[in-house]
Amino acid sequence: MDLVNRRLPRRLVLQAGGLVAAGSLIRPAQAAGFAAVKPEQAVIGFGHVGPISDEGWTASHHQGLLAVKQAYPQAKFLEVESIPYSADATRTFRQFVAQGAHLVFVTSEYGDLLHGVSDRATDTAWLECNGHSAASNRSWYYVKHWLPSYVAGVAAGLMSKSGKLGYVGSMPVPTVYCGVNAFLMGARSVKPEATMQVIVINSWFDPQAAAQAGTALIDNGCDVLFGVMDEAAYLQVAEKRGVPAVMWNTDVRRYGPKSYISSIVLDWTKFYVAQTKARLEGSWTPGQPVLLSMGDGVDRDAWGDSVPGPVRAQADAVRTRMLAGYTPFVGEIKDAGGRVRVPAGKTMTDLELYGWNWPIEGVSGLRGA
Amino acid sequence: MIRLQRVSTVGPWIVVAARVLSVAAALLVGGAAFAVAGYDVPMLAGSVVRGSFDSLFGLEDLGLLFSPLILTGLAAAVALRIGLWNIGGEGQFYAGAIAATLTGLNLHGPTPVMLPLLALAGFAGGAAWVLVPALARAFLAIDEIITTLLLNFVAVLLVNYLCTGPLRDPAQAVTSASARIPYELPPLLDDLHWGLGGSVALVSVMAVLFARTRWGYEVRLSGANRHAARYAGIPVRRRLIQVLLLSGGLAGVAGMLEVVGTVHRLQGGISNNYGYLGIMVAVLAGGVPFAVLPAALLMAVILNAGTVLQAYGVSNYEVLALTGLVLLFTAMGERIAYYRLSRPMRA
Repeated sequence: MDLVNRRLPRRLVLQAGGLVAAGSLIRPAQAAGFAAVKPEQAVIGFGHVGPISDEGWTASHHQGLLAVKQAYPQAKFLEVESIPYSADATRTFRQFVAQGAHLVFVTSEYGDLLHGVSDRATDTAWLECNGHSAASNRSWYYVKHWLPSYVAGVAAGLMSKSGKLGYVGSMPVPTVYCGVNAFLMGARSVKPEATMQVIVINSWFDPQAAAQAGTALIDNGCDVLFGVMDEAAYLQVAEKRGVPAVMWNTDVRRYGPKSYISSIVLDWTKFYVAQTKARLEGSWTPGQPVLLSMGDGVDRDAWGDSVPGPVRAQADAVRTRMLAGYTPFVGEIKDAGGRVRVPAGKTMTDLELYGWNWPIEGVSGLRGA
Repeated sequence: MIRLQRVSTVGPWIVVAARVLSVAAALLVGGAAFAVAGYDVPMLAGSVVRGSFDSLFGLEDLGLLFSPLILTGLAAAVALRIGLWNIGGEGQFYAGAIAATLTGLNLHGPTPVMLPLLALAGFAGGAAWVLVPALARAFLAIDEIITTLLLNFVAVLLVNYLCTGPLRDPAQAVTSASARIPYELPPLLDDLHWGLGGSVALVSVMAVLFARTRWGYEVRLSGANRHAARYAGIPVRRRLIQVLLLSGGLAGVAGMLEVVGTVHRLQGGISNNYGYLGIMVAVLAGGVPFAVLPAALLMAVILNAGTVLQAYGVSNYEVLALTGLVLLFTAMGERIAYYRLSRPMRA
C-alpha cells in the first residue's frame, strides 16, 4: 500500500483518483503524467547542498529559483540549504513531499538518499542535478562543462610558462576527472608538453582547505590554477601569488581581479523556468536526461584582465567552432598510465564525457580507474 | 530569610518536572526570538508537531533519528557507569560502519545469517576502535577523554580514504561512497527498519546487566569509588577495559545500523554527529540505561524539528541555535532541580 498518499494534500490524492483502485492506494508505476497545477496553488521545492550565500554553485541555483519566482510569483517556494549527504537529506526530501511539493529541484546528486523518497512520492516530480538514474517521476540534468573547460584550458596553455597547471578538486568523481582532462586537453592543444597536478580536498565547500591546496600547487611550480570549488578561496591565493586562475560557477573576479582568467559559469534560469512551466501546465514528463550545452546553461565567463588579446582570440576561435558543433574529444586519448582508452578517430559521446572516470596522460594526483 | 539549598537527592517527579519545564522555557525563549525575527511562530510550532507526529513520514524520520541516538547515548551512558567519559562515540560509530561495510561487501550469505554477522562486525569494529584508549586508561592512566576524542578524527579520515580509494563506487557523481551493501534490515514501518527494535532491546539488556548482575554491581561500585572497589577485591582494571569495549561496541552497532539499514553505503558524513550527540543523551539520561530512551527521543524530536523548520525557510543556523537553546536549558534545569528554597529553622 502506498502510504505516502495519505499525507499528501487532498487535492493531489483526488487528482490521482482515476488511478486509485477500490480500497487501495496502489498506483501503477507508469503513472500517466502529472495533472496541471494552478500557479497560485503550486509548491516548488529547491534542495541545495551548500549555502545560497556561497557565491558559487548554490548561488547559481538560487538564481534559478529567483527566475522561477519571477515567472510564477504566486507559487509557494520551499528552499533548504546545506543538506548533508546523510540520512538528514532523506528527511529533508520527505519534508518537501509532506508539504505537497509538485516539483523539486535537487541541486546535487543525492542518489539513494533521494531515490528512497522519490520512488514512494510518485505525485511529486523530481529533478536531480548531476544524477545518474531516472524514474517515472524523476530525471536528471547537468551541464556540458567540458566544453568551456577546454576553451579555458586553451587560454591557460597559452598563458602558462612552466607548462605545469594545478587543479583544486573536491573528490575523485566524474565532474573532476572530466574537468581536469578537458582543461588539460585544451592546454595541450597549444602546449603539448603541459601537465596538470590535482589535489582533492574531500569537500565541495571548504575555503580553508581549498586555499591550502592552492598554495601547495603554486609552491610546486604550477603557474595557472583551475578547480571546481563552490567558493573562491583559491582565487584569492592565486591573486596574492600573482598566478592566473580559472574558476567555476559564477563570475567571482572581484576576489582576484588581476588573476581572474575566466570561469565555467552556470545559468540554470531558462531550464528551471521551462521545467516549472511544463509541470504547472501538466505537460511535464521525466523525458530524456538533459545536458545543457555551451551557450545554453554553461559557458566561459567574460575574459578577465589577465588574459591578453591574442589569447582571448585564439581561445574564442575554439569556442566559436564548438558552438557550431566541433568536439575536440576525439581519440586517440591515453590514460595517465599510458594505455590507449579512446582509439584513434573515435569521438567520445556526451554520456562518456559525463561519466569520465580516468585521468588522461599528463595528469597526476588522480587515481586511475 | 529564604536561602537556596542544595539537596543530594530529589524524587523522580522533580527530575521529570525540571526536564519538562526546561524544554518549555527554551521553546518560549526560542519562540520569542523567532517572533522578533518575523516568523509566524504558532504556525511553525504547529508544523513541527504535525511534521513529527502526525504523519507516517514524520514518525519514520523520528524513528530513524531515535535509533542511532539510543545506541550512541547508551554507549556513553555505559562508560559513565564506571566513571569514564567515552567521547569517541563518533569514531567508534564510523569504525563499526567500516567493519560492517567491509563484511557486507566481501562476505556473501543468506540475509538472516548475514545481519547478525554484520551487527557482530559493527560491535567488533567499535570495540577495536576503543581498545587502545581502554588499555592506555587501564595501564597507563592516560585520560580517555583525550584519546577517544582524537581517534574520532582518525576514523573520519579513514572513512574518507576508503570511500575515495579502495571502496569507491565510480558511479557516484558528487560524493565518494562505497558500493551499495547488498543486505537490508527488515522494515518496521516502510523506511524505518528493525534497528529501532534492536536498539531498544540493547537498552533493556544493558539495564538488566547493570542493575541485576554481579558484573554490573562491580562496575557500578568501581565507578562510585575505585579504591573501595579494589579493596573489596573487584578487578577494577579489567572492568574498566570491559566497560570501554562494551561502550565502543554499542557505538559500533549504531554505525552498522546506520550504514546497513538507512544509508546503505559507506560515505563520509553519515554519522550526523550521532557520536557527539550521544554524549549529550547520556548526560541528559544521567548515565542510566533506561533513561537513555526518553533522552534520545527528546534529541530526535529536536533534530527532526530542525528538518521541518528548514523546509519553512528557517535557516540551518537558526535551527542549530534553537537546538542549542533547548540543550542549554535542559542542562540548567538538571542542576536547578537539586536546589530548593528553604527557610532556615530558628535555633
